[in-house]
Amino acid sequence: MEVQKEAQRIMTLSVWKMYHSRMQRGGLRLHRSLQLSLVMRSARELYLSAKVEALEPEVSLPPACPSDPRLHPPREVESTVETATADGEQPSPEPMDTQEAPTAEEIPAYSAPRPAKVSRKRRSSSLRDGGDAGLVPSKKARLEEKEEEEGLSSEVADRLQPPPAQAEGAFPNLARVLQRRFSGLLNCSPAAPPTAPPACEAKPACRPADSMLNVLVRTVVAF
Amino acid sequence: MFPKFSLRSMFHGAGGGNDIQWCFSQVKGAVDDDVAEADIISTVEFNHSGELLATGDKGGRVVIFQQEQENKIQSHSRGEYNVYSTFQSHEPEFDYLKSLEIEEKINKIRWLPQKNAAQFLLSTNDKTIKLWKISERDKRPEGYNLKEEDGRYRDPTTVTTLRVPVFRPMDLMVEASPRRIFANAHTYHINSISINSDYETYLSADDLRINLWHLEITDRSFNIVDIKPANMEELTEVITAAEFHPNSCNTFVYSSSKGTIRLCDMRASALCDRHSKLFEEPEDPSNRSFFSEIISSISDVKFSHSGRYMMTRDYLSVKIWDLNMENRPVETYQVHEYLRSKLCSLYENDCIFDKFECCWNGSDSVVMTGSYNNFFRMFDRNTKRDITLEASRENNKPRTVLKPRKVCASGKRKKDEISVDSLDFNKKILHTAWHPKENIIAVATTNNLYIFQDKVN
Repeated sequence: MEVQKEAQRIMTLSVWKMYHSRMQRGGLRLHRSLQLSLVMRSARELYLSAKVEALEPEVSLPPACPSDPRLHPPREVESTVETATADGEQPSPEPMDTQEAPTAEEIPAYSAPRPAKVSRKRRSSSLRDGGDAGLVPSKKARLEEKEEEEGLSSEVADRLQPPPAQAEGAFPNLARVLQRRFSGLLNCSPAAPPTAPPACEAKPACRPADSMLNVLVRTVVAF
Repeated sequence: MFPKFSLRSMFHGAGGGNDIQWCFSQVKGAVDDDVAEADIISTVEFNHSGELLATGDKGGRVVIFQQEQENKIQSHSRGEYNVYSTFQSHEPEFDYLKSLEIEEKINKIRWLPQKNAAQFLLSTNDKTIKLWKISERDKRPEGYNLKEEDGRYRDPTTVTTLRVPVFRPMDLMVEASPRRIFANAHTYHINSISINSDYETYLSADDLRINLWHLEITDRSFNIVDIKPANMEELTEVITAAEFHPNSCNTFVYSSSKGTIRLCDMRASALCDRHSKLFEEPEDPSNRSFFSEIISSISDVKFSHSGRYMMTRDYLSVKIWDLNMENRPVETYQVHEYLRSKLCSLYENDCIFDKFECCWNGSDSVVMTGSYNNFFRMFDRNTKRDITLEASRENNKPRTVLKPRKVCASGKRKKDEISVDSLDFNKKILHTAWHPKENIIAVATTNNLYIFQDKVN
C-alpha cells in the first residue's frame, strides 16, 4: 500500500512537473521531458506491480506487462507500455473523465470491501474500454487519486512545489485539458505551447508533428 | 624520524598535488541575498593563457575579468582579476513560428586561442552561437588636417598647411563586437560548443543533433550526428554534452542521458551516427533504484589536457575514462553519495535535474566539481585524497586558508560537520573552472564568482 501510495504520488508529481515545464521560458525541454516521462513510467510500473501483488488473481493483466518491471531493461518495458497505451488512446477524453465516477465510489481508501469493488469496477471498465486492462488501473488511479487528494490534500500540498493549491484543483481536469491540447498539437508544429493559435489545431497540415509530444500524451494518457 | 608528509596534509587531507592549501582571493558579484534572476551565473571559462576569465549569466551578459600583471615585489599573491569588458551577448528572442520565447541565458562560452592582439570567444544561448571579438584601444589619432577635434569638417579655405595625424595615448577602452552569428541550425536546445584543435572549425550540440561549423562561414553547417528517431515516440536518450579531442582534430565525444559516451571519428563517414567507441559502465544492481535512470544521465564531459583521458559527471559521481578502455571508467569519485537516499526529495524540489560541470587542473592530476550548500569538491588522482571546500563570504579575508568541510551522512554528527538535512539545496555550485597553468580556480555560486588560489609562501 505504501509503495502504491508513493508511486501514485510520484506519478501525480511528474504530471504536474510536465505541465509546469511547458510554462517555462524557452519552451519544453526535451531532456527534462524525457526524464520526467521515465520517472512517471517507473512509477506506473511500480504502482501496477504493487497493485498486482495486492489484488486477487482474478484480475488479469495483459501478458506483456512484466511482473517486476524494475528488473526489465527500459526498452522492453517501454514497448509494452506503448502497446498497452496505444490501444487505449481514444479521441474522447472518456478514460480520464472522473466526473462519470458515481459518488458511491468515494469510499475510504482502506476499507475492506474495497478490493471486491475494485475488481468489479475494473472488469466493467475493461468491457467498456474494449478489453484493454492496461488502461483500467489508470482509471482506478484517477479515482484513488481523487479520494486521496481529498483525504491527503494537505500532505501532498506540503510536499509539492508551489502553487500546490492550484495544481490540486486542476488535477481532475488537468489530464483532460492536457489531452485535448496535446491531441490538437500533435498535428501542429513542434513544441507549440497550449496557447498556440487556433488555426494550428484546425489545420492538421502543418509541419510534421514533433512526436516528442506523443511521448508525453501517451504517458499522460497511460496515467 | 619525522614522517615525510607535512603536518598540514595530515589534518587537511589536501586535494591537490604537493598538499595545496586553498585561500580565498576574490569574490565578484552582488552581496544581496535577493538574487536577480538575470544575474545568475550560467557559465565560467578561463582563456588559454589564464589571463582572462569569462562568465556568462542568465540575462545574456558576458563579463570578462583580466588578471593583473604579477607584481614581482609583492610575491605573496598572484595578480587579481578585475573587470575587463562587459557586454550583452544575447537578447531574448521570440520564435513566432513556434510561439516560443528563446531564452537569452548564456549556456556556454569557449575561447579561441589568441592569434593577434584581439581576443575571440564563442558564446551561445539555446539557439544561436556568436563569435565575439574583444579588442583594446589605447591610442587615438589626433591632429587631422581637414577635421576639427570633434569631427566636424573644417572650412576648406582655412586649411593652409598639411598636417598628418599622430596617434596619442588615451584611456584604455575595451570593445566587444560580434563578428559572426551562427543561427538557425538547431531545432532543440544547444547544450555544448567546442572548438576544434584545427582552430578553424567548431561543433555545437543540441539534444538530438551535433553540427560542425567553420568559424568563417555562418550560413552553413554540417550535421555530423543525428540521433533523432524516425518516430519520436521511440526516443530513449538525448545528447547531453559534446567536446572535440584536444589534439586529434578528427575526434570528438558526446555523452547521453543514459550515461554512455560515444567517441566518433569524422574520417569514418560524413554522418557520425555510428560511433567508433562506446564507453559504458554496467549498472551496479545494488544501486538500482527508482531514479537510477535519471541520475545516470551525464551532465558534462571533458577531455584531459593530454587527450588520454576524459572525465564525465553524472548526478552523484565523477568518472575518469581511459580512451583505450570502453567497458568501465578507470577511476570513480563519489561527489555526494549521501544524497543517494534522498533522491525522492531531490526529485520533488527539482534538484535531481541539476547539471553539474567538472574540470581538470592544468597537469590533469586533480579534478574538481561542485555540489550543494556552496560546497565544491576536488579529487587528487595521484594521492587519491579528496577535499570539500565551501565558497562563502564568511571566509572572505584575502589569503584566508579555506577550512575543509565535511558532511555527516548519518549517525552522530561530529563537531564542524554538517548533517545532510542541514544542507542548503538552493546554494549549488554548477560551474567551476581551473586556470590552465596555475592553481587558481573560479567557482560560481548562484550569482557570485569566487576566485581561490593556492597559498604562495
